[in-house]
Amino acid sequence: MNQVITVGDMKIGGKGDILVTHALGSCLGLMVYDPAAQVGGLLHAMLPLSKINLQKAAQNPYMFVDTGVPEMFRQLYEIGGQKSRMVIKAAGCGQPLGNSEMFQIGERNYTVLKKLLWKNNIMLEAEDVGGVISRTVYFDLSTGQVIISSKGVKKEL
Amino acid sequence: MKSTIFSLIEKDVSAFPSMPGAAAKLLKLLRNPDSSTAEVENILRCEPGLTANILKMTNSAYFGLTNRVGSIRQAMVLLGWKRLYQLVIASCVSAMMDKPVPGYDLPAGELWRHSIAVSAAAEGLAKELQLSGTDEIFTAGLLHDVGKMILGKFVEQDLVKIDFETYHNLSFEKVEQDILGTDHAEVGARILEKWRLPAEMIAAVRWHHEPENAPSISQMGDVVHVADFISLMIGVGVGREGLQYEPSKAVTRRLGIHIGHIEKIASQTLEWVSDLTASFK
Ligand SMILES: [Fe+2]
Ligand SMILES: [Fe+2]
Repeated sequence: MNQVITVGDMKIGGKGDILVTHALGSCLGLMVYDPAAQVGGLLHAMLPLSKINLQKAAQNPYMFVDTGVPEMFRQLYEIGGQKSRMVIKAAGCGQPLGNSEMFQIGERNYTVLKKLLWKNNIMLEAEDVGGVISRTVYFDLSTGQVIISSKGVKKEL
Repeated sequence: MKSTIFSLIEKDVSAFPSMPGAAAKLLKLLRNPDSSTAEVENILRCEPGLTANILKMTNSAYFGLTNRVGSIRQAMVLLGWKRLYQLVIASCVSAMMDKPVPGYDLPAGELWRHSIAVSAAAEGLAKELQLSGTDEIFTAGLLHDVGKMILGKFVEQDLVKIDFETYHNLSFEKVEQDILGTDHAEVGARILEKWRLPAEMIAAVRWHHEPENAPSISQMGDVVHVADFISLMIGVGVGREGLQYEPSKAVTRRLGIHIGHIEKIASQTLEWVSDLTASFK
């Protein structure tokens, strides 16, 4: 079944599910898959650190990378996922043109993700991040295949 | 070629719908401190659709009124005349801006969500930065991209050129200028002129992608410029051009904005958008 993940949300699923998320601008799209258990999840996190709005983070951990990623892993473990088998891919984290520091949310999202993964000894298998484009992700949980689409062009990640 | 396109665009601007007569009258009344509540009520008495829209929006969680408002008189007392002015405009443009926008690849509803997001984020930023004199910021945010409704068709015809390699690092309004001889900000400003909206609001729309070229500095324009990026970055109404616009460093400097302000407003914007758009359904 196709399931759409909106901004600041996360969904997990298994064989037969296709997880879709649209309009990744500066947001991070994180796709995690355990091929043996055939379970996976897709997180669409908006901002790097929950400390900017703790009240929001308490209501919805998926708005932030630092709270959303651990919660996603926790849920995947509950449905049989194992850390050692997880295949992790990232998409999004775009930026406007120029190098204004005020608008580097995408880069900050990416940095926080990398730190989290590094601390937990997890490798990033593939990524399609940065630039000015907006991305849509299709994540097939039967196969683990990730398709990124932008401006009508699709490619496999 | 460019001049032919330009004259076609001009034609579309003049053919663009005017403000409905009742709305135009209301806006005039609401800007005049000598008008009375009764005059406003008189006009709305013959406009059940507009009245219903205004009341629905008045009761949106965004405005934070505790009791349900059932009459225009109450709405005017509780929200104030400036809000009512904004709601009259919002109610007139909502149906129009809810349509899909070709060229920019915005499906139905996305231009409207983007506009609402920029309105709310701009108000949020103005409050966060404790700016004053920004009463019209909500409407400026709401209408900043209205020009896309005319320019979309022309952008679509020239997509092949627009996707050309040379244009990849150019802020999108400059791509539009280069190929079409004008951009969606200018076209939007022309629509606002046609609607006889206030000059500062028109300027905020006209310069929302190039605030540094504006003849005079406007905090309202500056805040709309920043709020636009917030909405695009969080993926609300982000179209074919993605994030291909360049933020002005002069603007963030003179507003004294930090990344913390931007992230804080971003974290609240989606809730504001759903509160405001829910009231239209
Ligand atoms: Fe714009
Ligand atoms: Fe915009």
